Amino acid sequence: MPRNRSVFLKRGVVAAVAVAMAGLAAGAAVAADPVRVGALYPLSGQVAKSGEDTLNGIRLAIDIVNNTHAGLKMPFAAGAGLPALGGAKIELIAADHQGSPEIGAAEAERLIVQRKVAALIGAFHSSVAATSSQVAERMGVPYISGESEATTLTERGYRWFFRTTPSSRTQARDFFTFLRDINKSQNAGVQTIAVVHENTLWGQEFAKSVEGYFKDFSEFKPAIVVGYQQGTSDVTSEVQKLIAAKPDAVFHASYDAEAILFARTYKQFNFSPKGVLAIGAAFGSNAFRDALGGDANYFFVREHWSRDLAGRNPLIGQVGQMYRERYGKDMDGTPARAFTAMMVLADAINRAGSTDPEKIRAALAATRIAPSDMIMPWEGIQFDPTGQNTLTRGIFVQTLDGAPKMTWPADQAAIKLVWPRPAWR
Amino acid sequence: MAAMPARPSVSSAVALLVLAAAALALPLAIGERPFELRMATLILLFAVMGQGWNVLGGFAGQVSIGHGLYFGLGAYTTVLLALRLDVDPWLGLVAGALVPALCAVLVGIPCFRLRGHYFVIATLVVAESVFQIFTVWEWVGSAVGLELPVKPEGLANFQFHRDKTPYYYIALAMLVVVTGALWWLRRSPLGFVLRAIRDDEDAVRGLGFSPQAYKSIAMAISGAILGVAGVFHAQYVLFVDPFSVLGLHISVLVALFAIMGGVGTLAGPILGAAVLVPLSEYARIHFSGSGRNVDLLIYGFLIMVIAVYRPDGLMGLWQRARVAAIRLTSGRKGSDHAPDVHLPARRRVARHDPRPSA
Amino acid sequence: MSEQLIIQLIVSGLGMGFIFALIAIGLTLIYGVMNVVNFAHGEFLMLGMYASYLAFATWGADPLVTLPFVVAAMFGFGLLVYYLLIRQVLGGSMQAQIFATFGLMVFLQAAAQFVMGADYFAVRDSWLSGVVTVGGVVLPVPQLAAVAGASLATAALYLLVFRTAVGRQLRAAAQDAQAASTLGINPSAMYALAWGIGSACVGVAASLLSNFYYVFPRVGAIFVLLAYVAVALGGFGSIHGALVAGLLIGLLQVLTGFFVSSELKFVPVYMLYLAVVLLRPRGLFGRS
Repeated sequence: MPRNRSVFLKRGVVAAVAVAMAGLAAGAAVAADPVRVGALYPLSGQVAKSGEDTLNGIRLAIDIVNNTHAGLKMPFAAGAGLPALGGAKIELIAADHQGSPEIGAAEAERLIVQRKVAALIGAFHSSVAATSSQVAERMGVPYISGESEATTLTERGYRWFFRTTPSSRTQARDFFTFLRDINKSQNAGVQTIAVVHENTLWGQEFAKSVEGYFKDFSEFKPAIVVGYQQGTSDVTSEVQKLIAAKPDAVFHASYDAEAILFARTYKQFNFSPKGVLAIGAAFGSNAFRDALGGDANYFFVREHWSRDLAGRNPLIGQVGQMYRERYGKDMDGTPARAFTAMMVLADAINRAGSTDPEKIRAALAATRIAPSDMIMPWEGIQFDPTGQNTLTRGIFVQTLDGAPKMTWPADQAAIKLVWPRPAWR
Repeated sequence: MAAMPARPSVSSAVALLVLAAAALALPLAIGERPFELRMATLILLFAVMGQGWNVLGGFAGQVSIGHGLYFGLGAYTTVLLALRLDVDPWLGLVAGALVPALCAVLVGIPCFRLRGHYFVIATLVVAESVFQIFTVWEWVGSAVGLELPVKPEGLANFQFHRDKTPYYYIALAMLVVVTGALWWLRRSPLGFVLRAIRDDEDAVRGLGFSPQAYKSIAMAISGAILGVAGVFHAQYVLFVDPFSVLGLHISVLVALFAIMGGVGTLAGPILGAAVLVPLSEYARIHFSGSGRNVDLLIYGFLIMVIAVYRPDGLMGLWQRARVAAIRLTSGRKGSDHAPDVHLPARRRVARHDPRPSA
Repeated sequence: MSEQLIIQLIVSGLGMGFIFALIAIGLTLIYGVMNVVNFAHGEFLMLGMYASYLAFATWGADPLVTLPFVVAAMFGFGLLVYYLLIRQVLGGSMQAQIFATFGLMVFLQAAAQFVMGADYFAVRDSWLSGVVTVGGVVLPVPQLAAVAGASLATAALYLLVFRTAVGRQLRAAAQDAQAASTLGINPSAMYALAWGIGSACVGVAASLLSNFYYVFPRVGAIFVLLAYVAVALGGFGSIHGALVAGLLIGLLQVLTGFFVSSELKFVPVYMLYLAVVLLRPRGLFGRS
């Protein structure tokens, strides 16, 4: 899309000039009132760790906006604060929703009414995003989500809800695109597909989306769909069903715990399809690699982000490095997406030039961000009328020699993918 | 302490009036603070649920850790009626009481033949089965859950969007009605039979009453109250999913609040909710940012402390304080009152026999 | 549908059943002696698994090597819990007892997350890993070890309870604490012993389980819900009841998982419990 590219470039130049001028002005300007942004995340209980990691992505984005970062070629890095608001800083107000839709809605209301936030960002769990964005919709406050994936969230006709991450339906489509591509390019020979999914919202939505795509990708046939109870003590019957169905490829929607359990059970029963492809990070997580050692190799994960992309976009390496230095662990797809959503929100507030919710909403709706200005491997950020970003792209990462490696799309690959997966040793 | 409901004296009538006035005026004092308003509403909601649990668990002595089931069924009934048949929410409220009551009676048929822990496990198993079925059942929205359509706010639609104060008053009205009804129930013949069942089921059978029938009645009332609370929750959140209305944690919390307040007393569940809801809410706001579960650490510790030191719950603590105060203020009167209050606690100790193998 | 597949399902189901049984046995022993249900039993399992994992992570010690130490430590932990908590609520109502152990459950879970975080940890390449294949049927070595461990533990417990002087005292205290104390038996010491042995049993389960399962703060809930059902199904207090019920449950969940629905594989287990207690209100082998 060369035309868009040039528009982006022009905007980039304009933005850079604006940033530079604001930087000059900032020295003289009186410190403006901070802009408050409310963040809704699970900060206690079982998923506290993921919630904290995600929130750290947002904290890093705010740090880049609020402070001067010489050498980082990114919007807002050069100056301090939001230039169009007289160098106003962003103040983050985090709230814990514990994964409860009820608490999420209540906290959204508290942040809007009692803490006077200009916008909300959240919420990790799609169920919480559903109820908390309902509050924002009613009160007329912009809400942006960088990582809540349930497809239905942008199908409700909301005015105030924006989402930068691809929905789970879009992600399911990437699985088929991937297989069609490697069937052509390297004779992968995939015809039958099994789906294994956990039975909460996330897994069920993924399975349903996959089912829907067999029409569009008619060269593939469903072999079997195996749903399982999250928190199960063993998966023998599930794996025996898979063995009986003999699929060429398995699509997996599992959280960390069952990912380990499934991989171990696959090995025990020597179940070795041509490839196992997972949505979500579980099959490539640190816990997974630690628990399985060499057996963690060859699993594919449909990812949003990879450090291997640093070669193509230096921002990815720099921001990943900053995240590691500040929070002591490697950035992964979820904090990277939350980071991006926060940068989009900051950009919109800045273009709105005020904290007036209607103006911020209009600015969000008019968002145009170029690939070179962000850390995601997307074609940009641009919202359709439902508030969904339409320029996302998926990547596939394969664990090889104990480390996740970017393997698809081929033009961005760090290493050639291994297909079919070798037999268990 | 549940043995004999004390005759309401003038002083407790005054106390009740003051309490009622305070409850009515609370939203005015809270003002524009949704967090505090929601907490007050939650206290009332959990108090109602605790009262409902108490009918079966306290009055009749049948400990259930599956009462979240009736809460969830109430919530689902009203949402499904509104979504599929466009039924008025107030009719939904009636249905949301009847459906859980009916289910409770059905559950009671196999479960009431069981004693002690066999009954406890049975209630758990039934609730967990329904939870698991709802997570995969498409027609009820499976794990995705169901959103109630947003309607113009007002009492007719049972939805209030800008200002949530009406929810508070509806919950308060629910609590007053439920508590009043239970106050009457406890003094009715039914109440006496239920307490007799709790103390000695075989003796009740010997007198010609059917414990099974009376327990079913208690179960139905209990289920209906939980169902009404579930309807309120659905109208308040405008969303139901299996985890947030049928999850095991709800069953446990309900029983916990009632037991920690004081089993079998009318004030117990209210007191339990009034102490424990703010405790967990403030712990969440202030401690949970660390992701270290400090709130639950404190919570678990407190539960143990109360179980050890006041097995009759916060009500026991309260009565103890009252006795001490009376003793301090008037010597003679105090000595009259003290045994009255202490008797049941002592009786429990006397009954202590680690193996009630009856 | 091959014969081999059916045999495989049955064998796998029984393998899991032995794990449930091993966890349930400790629970039922405590109940049999003093009519208290330990709702923190799953968290005892979790502690044992963390102990196994930490020994592996720090010293590289195999779970099989550390098994005796984990069992001994869990025995001590059981005594500690008895003296600090359970003894204080013995005189209380059933509700007080339920909530004492329930509070302990919440506390231990939160404490584990406080210290270890919510991460998943697993022992890697333990001695007991890999599979044995017999006539096309796969027998995972860790499950075989669990079968052996559960059988041994049950047998040892039986001998202890029914063939030794200590066992006689335990049974005497269980039947009538007052009469036992007139015979010079200290019931409280017997209760403490029951808690120690019950916890030691779950220590065996924890060590064997850590060969193939990961540990995290809420791992207990995954196993213990079915263990409670096993105890109730077998009849509270019955050791062989817990064993038989554990095996039944293991078998049933694998078979329904394969033939009916893997999403609802626990529902038939729950229904089995209801059906059994409808006919026998004290479970399969419960005494009245």
